[in-house]
Amino acid sequence: MIALGIVALATLAANGSRQLRYSAFALLGVSLAANAVSAGQLSMWELAVEGCGALVAFGVLYVAARDRSYGEDPGWRLWVATVVAAAATAACFATLRTASSEVVTVPLIGEDPSGVTAQVAAFWLISSGVAILVTARTPVRGSLGALLMVTGVELLVRLLNAPQLGLTLLLAWIQAVIGLAGAFLIVNERVVREA
Amino acid sequence: MIIAAAPLILAAAACFAFAFRKRLNVVGPFSLMTILAAFTLVAAMPADLTGALLDLELRVTDLGRLASLVILATLFLLVIDVWLDEPAYNFFPTALAVGATALGVLVVTAPLAIFGLLVLGLLVPVGSFTFQIQRNRSVEAASRHFSFVALGGCLGLGALALSASLPHEQPANTFVLLVVVLVVAFALLLAAIPFHTHAALLASEVPAAALALYFGVLVPTTFIAFAEILTLSGLLPAIVQVVKVQDLLHGIGLVSAVGGAFLASGAPDLRRLVVYSVISNLGSALVGMATLSGPGIIGALASVIVTGVSASGQLLAAGTLERRSAPDRPTARRAPMAALAFVVGGFAMIGAPPLLGFPGRFFMELIAYQFAPVTGAALVVATLLLIVGQLRAVVALFGAGVERWAIEPRPVAGMIGAAIFVALLVGGIQPAGFLGPIAAFADEFLKALRPL
Repeated sequence: MIALGIVALATLAANGSRQLRYSAFALLGVSLAANAVSAGQLSMWELAVEGCGALVAFGVLYVAARDRSYGEDPGWRLWVATVVAAAATAACFATLRTASSEVVTVPLIGEDPSGVTAQVAAFWLISSGVAILVTARTPVRGSLGALLMVTGVELLVRLLNAPQLGLTLLLAWIQAVIGLAGAFLIVNERVVREA
Repeated sequence: MIIAAAPLILAAAACFAFAFRKRLNVVGPFSLMTILAAFTLVAAMPADLTGALLDLELRVTDLGRLASLVILATLFLLVIDVWLDEPAYNFFPTALAVGATALGVLVVTAPLAIFGLLVLGLLVPVGSFTFQIQRNRSVEAASRHFSFVALGGCLGLGALALSASLPHEQPANTFVLLVVVLVVAFALLLAAIPFHTHAALLASEVPAAALALYFGVLVPTTFIAFAEILTLSGLLPAIVQVVKVQDLLHGIGLVSAVGGAFLASGAPDLRRLVVYSVISNLGSALVGMATLSGPGIIGALASVIVTGVSASGQLLAAGTLERRSAPDRPTARRAPMAALAFVVGGFAMIGAPPLLGFPGRFFMELIAYQFAPVTGAALVVATLLLIVGQLRAVVALFGAGVERWAIEPRPVAGMIGAAIFVALLVGGIQPAGFLGPIAAFADEFLKALRPL
């Protein structure tokens, strides 16, 4: 439950930040907290692979920012994204949850075997990502939204009762490539803007 | 492991090509050799070969092998064009990486892995879309493409993951909701109307070879992946039970087919004509698939594969015509071979007999009439509008006449167009070899539709 709270707060921090470097740090926080939410479902190797994907995405975004001040002011988009994400998370959990309808106890600290926490975190991250991506003006927030969505998808995939290593590796690659493509676009967009 | 050899070789070669991307005389021949090696490996592989990589199951299907060979042949032609006629060093590693992911999509059997590889493949061309960024809007076009792929990719992956973890006693509406999200995700990735705004911007701003890589290789791969995912995910029986999903697929297909054809008929330049024609043909293919019938599936897949090949030829020819005629409008006087290549590519695009595009279009329109006369009529109208668009391009290119029919210097696009035309003509005269593997897949699709 605490990890879920950290996911929510780190998402808000990434969404609300005006500086790309702070957003990148917040994204790393989201990824670490998301790993903590569902650590029990993955082996050490799988967690390491996903961690590497998140680190690469963080690293390239941090470098692409070039200085501390570069970023995109979210303005009213922050509130729209937050309200839409909160409403969509509740709606998704009501219609799409895979956990049984029996009363589930969610521990404050430690593993949640029912998967409810992981699913709520996944819905929150995906709906926040959609809201940020749809309202983004530049690749800065576009990359942010895409990376949040991928982190949410990783959480959903972990709930599957299937072998995970191949999928984990693939999702880590997607995360890294989104980070790289986003950074490439951020650098090019800055060149155009400063010309 | 042998089953994954071709995509792995291409992936490793993409890394090497990235390191040497600025040495065109090294990276060009190297890319061609790698694609040739991958082609040989795929051609030598027996059908129904199975294997595993990590914990992912792999299988060579007849359709997968056919599509892989077509994709590799198209990539080979694109690399020749870029190496000899339109140097762009980012293109080589991108083309190899796209080849690796496309071949991966065609051998993997897990729906989530297919979708994941597809998303990777669609993200890679972002690097080759941007060029001369201070003179055009290619960064904006690439950013929009990135957003559409990320949005469609993550929504589709999320929907697939949820549908795989839902218990079977869930209400049908939950499955329907997930399939609707999946269909919308694919509509975003396929640039189906009304999700085509990034395609329109790409058409006018990015290099012709990169555009050919997207519309000639990745878009057909995306459509095949859609059909495979529907077959392998177990969602088809739910689609049959609830007609709404079939109607949605049908609706998106019809809007794209007719809307794309309208836009193509009034397209202001050659590139946009090709891109809107592809969107229209994809819409027709979606209608074919929405009929959930054997001829519909065969027609859809055959049409999409031929559309990819002919779009590649037309886009390369359009790029050559633009470069040779700049700053004026493209004309056949400056590059008659490229202009001819554009015209014969247009024949394939509209499904004119005896080229290979004809059987697919014939099947789709026939089954569309059987499904609903209005649908059949709409597809015929779309074809007529495409013919109008292609005829307008012919008039624009040849209207002023050609003073002297001499082959232009470096007629690379013209030669590529001729090679594509010969291949489509031979395929059109002997269509069984092309349609057989697609029919085998259609059989699997129908079995997944109504499991015993």
